[in-house]
Amino acid sequence: MPSAKAPARRVSTYKIVQTVLGILFAGYLLWRLYVVFIGNPAYGSDTWARFIISGVILGSVYALIAIGYTLVYGILRMINFAHGDIMMIGAFGGYFVFEALKAIPAPTLTDPKFTFSDAHPIIAVLLAFIVGSSIAALSGFFLEKIAYRPLRGAPRLVPLISAIGASIFLENAGQLLFGTQRRDYANPLILTRGDGWNLPIGGATVILPYTGVLTLVVSILLMVGLYLLVMRTRLGRSMRAVAENKQVAALMGIDVDGIISRTFIISGALAGAAGVMWGIHLGLVYYYVGFLPGIKAFTAAVLGGIGSVPGAMLGGLFLGLVESLGPAILGISFQLKDVIAFAILVLVLIFRPTGIVGEVLTEEKV
Amino acid sequence: MTIALETRSLTKQFGGLTAVDSVDLVIQEGSIFSVIGPNGAGKTTFYNCITGFYEPESGEVLFYDKSLVGLTPDQVTYRGISRTYQNIRLFANMSAIENILVGEHSRLRANWADAILHTPRMKKEEKAAVEKARQLLNFVGLVGLGDQLARNLPYGAQRRLEIARALASQPRLLLLDEPTAGMNPHESVDMMHFIRRLRDELGITILLIEHDMRVVMGISEQIAVLDYGAKIAEGTPAEIQGNPRVIEAYLGSGAASGLNNTAARPA
Amino acid sequence: MRKQIKLSLNAGITFGIITIFLFLVGFTSTVADILAELFHNKAATSLLGLTPQMLNMLIFLGLVGLWAGAFGSRKEKSRSDDPWGVAVLDSLITGLVHGLLVCGLVLLVGTLDLRGVRMNVYLAQVLPAAVKLFLLGKAPLAGGLFYIVFMLATGFLGGLFSRGIGRGSWRRRSAAAWKNTWESFNRLSFVTQVRGNPITRYVIYGLLLLLVFLVPLGAGQYWNYTIGTVGIYVLLGLGLNIVVGLAGLLDLGYVAFFAIGAYTMALLTAPAPHHLLWSFWIVLPVGVVLAAITGLLLGTPVLRMRGDYLAIVTLGFGEIIRILSKSDDLTAFTGGPKGVTAVGGPTLFGKPFNSAIDYVYLIFLAVLLVIFVTNRLQNSRVGRAWEAMREDETVSRAMGINTLTQKLLAFAIGAAFAGLGGAIFASRNQFTGPDDFSLMVSINVVAVVIVGGMGNIPGVIAGALVLKGLPEVLRQLQDYRVLVFGALLVAMMLWRPAGIIPSSRRKMESNKDTGVTETPKEGREG
Repeated sequence: MPSAKAPARRVSTYKIVQTVLGILFAGYLLWRLYVVFIGNPAYGSDTWARFIISGVILGSVYALIAIGYTLVYGILRMINFAHGDIMMIGAFGGYFVFEALKAIPAPTLTDPKFTFSDAHPIIAVLLAFIVGSSIAALSGFFLEKIAYRPLRGAPRLVPLISAIGASIFLENAGQLLFGTQRRDYANPLILTRGDGWNLPIGGATVILPYTGVLTLVVSILLMVGLYLLVMRTRLGRSMRAVAENKQVAALMGIDVDGIISRTFIISGALAGAAGVMWGIHLGLVYYYVGFLPGIKAFTAAVLGGIGSVPGAMLGGLFLGLVESLGPAILGISFQLKDVIAFAILVLVLIFRPTGIVGEVLTEEKV
Repeated sequence: MTIALETRSLTKQFGGLTAVDSVDLVIQEGSIFSVIGPNGAGKTTFYNCITGFYEPESGEVLFYDKSLVGLTPDQVTYRGISRTYQNIRLFANMSAIENILVGEHSRLRANWADAILHTPRMKKEEKAAVEKARQLLNFVGLVGLGDQLARNLPYGAQRRLEIARALASQPRLLLLDEPTAGMNPHESVDMMHFIRRLRDELGITILLIEHDMRVVMGISEQIAVLDYGAKIAEGTPAEIQGNPRVIEAYLGSGAASGLNNTAARPA
Repeated sequence: MRKQIKLSLNAGITFGIITIFLFLVGFTSTVADILAELFHNKAATSLLGLTPQMLNMLIFLGLVGLWAGAFGSRKEKSRSDDPWGVAVLDSLITGLVHGLLVCGLVLLVGTLDLRGVRMNVYLAQVLPAAVKLFLLGKAPLAGGLFYIVFMLATGFLGGLFSRGIGRGSWRRRSAAAWKNTWESFNRLSFVTQVRGNPITRYVIYGLLLLLVFLVPLGAGQYWNYTIGTVGIYVLLGLGLNIVVGLAGLLDLGYVAFFAIGAYTMALLTAPAPHHLLWSFWIVLPVGVVLAAITGLLLGTPVLRMRGDYLAIVTLGFGEIIRILSKSDDLTAFTGGPKGVTAVGGPTLFGKPFNSAIDYVYLIFLAVLLVIFVTNRLQNSRVGRAWEAMREDETVSRAMGINTLTQKLLAFAIGAAFAGLGGAIFASRNQFTGPDDFSLMVSINVVAVVIVGGMGNIPGVIAGALVLKGLPEVLRQLQDYRVLVFGALLVAMMLWRPAGIIPSSRRKMESNKDTGVTETPKEGREG
């Protein structure tokens, strides 16, 4: 169309301020990168390797939780605020499995204190994942059924408040049931926390922990599985259809409520698995364990573009890395690493609310 | 005659889909102008481009020779364009009179400090605003229903209230989106008279999206037809009725050729 | 019939799970203690081999059983006839399932306890004493059987109450009766006069105020402190009410503004860490303004987002403020994790405020001011714009409302109220520290607003009284408070999204004091 001339755009002051701030921030970041790596290197390559290893492992856990947010958001356009608490439930499921299996003695000649989970670590870990995921999936199912389903079609604020209520309820139920003390996961002997392969990097040895590798492998397997489920199966196709348009999907004979239920079951199971990983890798489990990972995974989901599954995976990984590298790069105390996650959330929502991958905004038809 | 609204090759795209495709329209002041077209022809998108909800990819929207492109919806309203919705969108939990008062928002000046201090200016303004809202209730025939919650009003009354709310912002151009949707023929005729009254008594230019052909043909002075976002015809009701491209757009190409044949035979 | 049975089965399972949950979180023991305090029957007398504590617990469980029976035999809409037989069967099924589930729990817990397993290692509330109480001191099997019979009996009674007596549901009839009484009460000429006449209304408000001002004189130091806390929550609730209730923006980081008010007061008046020692009366407005400015600064980018993002970003912001105030890096500026002590207090006419009662009056004044401001704002162009935005943001933009400005205004005013509350809070406690500003404060305030009724002032006051006052009265319930908050939020959304006291609309069309009266007539011309 040669005749169509572009209309004169009005540039708002906000956009200018935004750009200026963005440039300033980017400049600061570059300067810090220069200082940390070239100007005045505070850490050797072994330390950076440690940061990266822990960041990637943490990131894979965030990614799993983030997928749950993204799946639910894609279908219901609501933030499942209680998702982090579902993870907590899963973590406790795994905890009890390990406790039970530790209680079964299986003494050998060399070690009389050997227990069932030490003797059969594969079975023990598998069982922990199965139980943790199932309990979490079940909680997700009931959560949707009780707190969200009756509110379908209500104004947006209503299910959100309900979700917050559910989250508070679950956290405090966890506190009342299991007490306030932090519990140590009783890993099988092989998976003792802190043990791992020693990698010589930069003249020092860096430990690649077994638990971390397990976490990474399991989460990659689960993510691949989920991707196949969403892209290759009938259930996945129905899920995508419901996410696209509920009315039309219903007209096509898809049981929308059933699909939503199943979405919650799947996202619950992933969160449960993440909870068990959290327990195995980081150890401590208590009623509040789901809160921070929950918020951070939400950040990851937003970062990757909420509604997009690959986006959630990328976002999780990115957030894990930023969280472990950030304090060192920015030169602030490690106490403030949670602030980085929150600050990223705020920044992303300000500068690029559609995330890295980008949500397709079709829902608001004015 | 003055031109109230003019669009020049207005284009709006969603991804690969061109919802409005270089549309040129000229609407004279004080006329009743209809935009028609099959479902999904881009009529509502066209409205949203005018009212500032969408920013067009290219083209111009001129309202009394001033560009509206890039303005926010509230600025557009302030310039004197107001609208109603296809599916009535009242503030359901506010009373009818409050709905109208919200419509007056852009013509009132009281800010938060005035509100807290009850300045004389604010009191005077508020009194006049309520009085004006009552007059509007009266004008649309809803006297006595002012304190009802909007959601408790009967359907026809809700339609009228929505128009009253739109009038409250003192528009020079009123955009109506299917004002007779869901009405029986008798009510539709009432609504037609009412729309004419808006123009004749208040001097407001009317732009109308409508599906009901009796209404369109009955009150429009000028009609534009959109199909797949592009304007395919424009003219008086008589001209549009005989236009084969319009019939084709509405009924499919087969029907149009058939119609052409029957039209050709007696001739 | 099949469906009816399934319904009562479900009811039985639901209530079974509820009862088990109540036991596991230790509520059965707590409720027994509370009832014992209420009935003053702590003495060691016993009836049928049951201690008073056990009887108290059974009273509570009996009520649960009654409710289960009533719930299980509730009528399906399509079935209007044969209330008797079906109701009895339904309630029996519900009671049986309920009893069986509880029996299972009793058997499991009882056996484990007999074997000497210390369950409270894993389940914190399942203490041996609680188990003994729940089993009524009996053997597991006997206890289990008792519960089957007990739940059957109470379920049966509950079913009788809800459906068996007479035709039609007594609940519906009693609801109708209540409504009738209320309406005839409203029709009384005296009542309409009081409501219509502004003078009598002001007299009533005046009397209420007088009462409120007299109460602290009769209350002791502890109760005045509690009243002050409730008052501060009313302040916070009214502020958040503007943001959530009127403008429809869910702010989960509201505590941040509270913290800014409190820290402003603390840092400017306390001897350490800055030794500024400003006067309370100067710092108070400074805190309010600072909080409002922070609100504007945070709001400018954040309020452009969709509503549900807003909730998370504000939550994140609240946490950032808390973590920063706690951080060691900023100890020199904020006092760090230990907080700020010896925060200054106000002096009025040479008299320093030093008792809880002084602060109660200060807080009352602040609450009155905030109510006044809220009321004026609500009934103005600004308030209407907020409500319109909450109802339908898109349309309100098309009505000429600059939604961003209005949202910012709501955000800033809400923040200002929180700043006011925070400043007074810090001054009253003579201390402020990071632990005062946990996420729970934000959640509490959200609960106060939502439970009370979004968008109306009496609702917020009622919400603060119920949620902050009641747990103080029933101290044993302290542990369950937050749990109940959560459940309450969900329940309110499911059944009463408008809150306990839904807001009422001002009559405007035929308002006499504006001088215009119009006779309502049927007007429908084309």
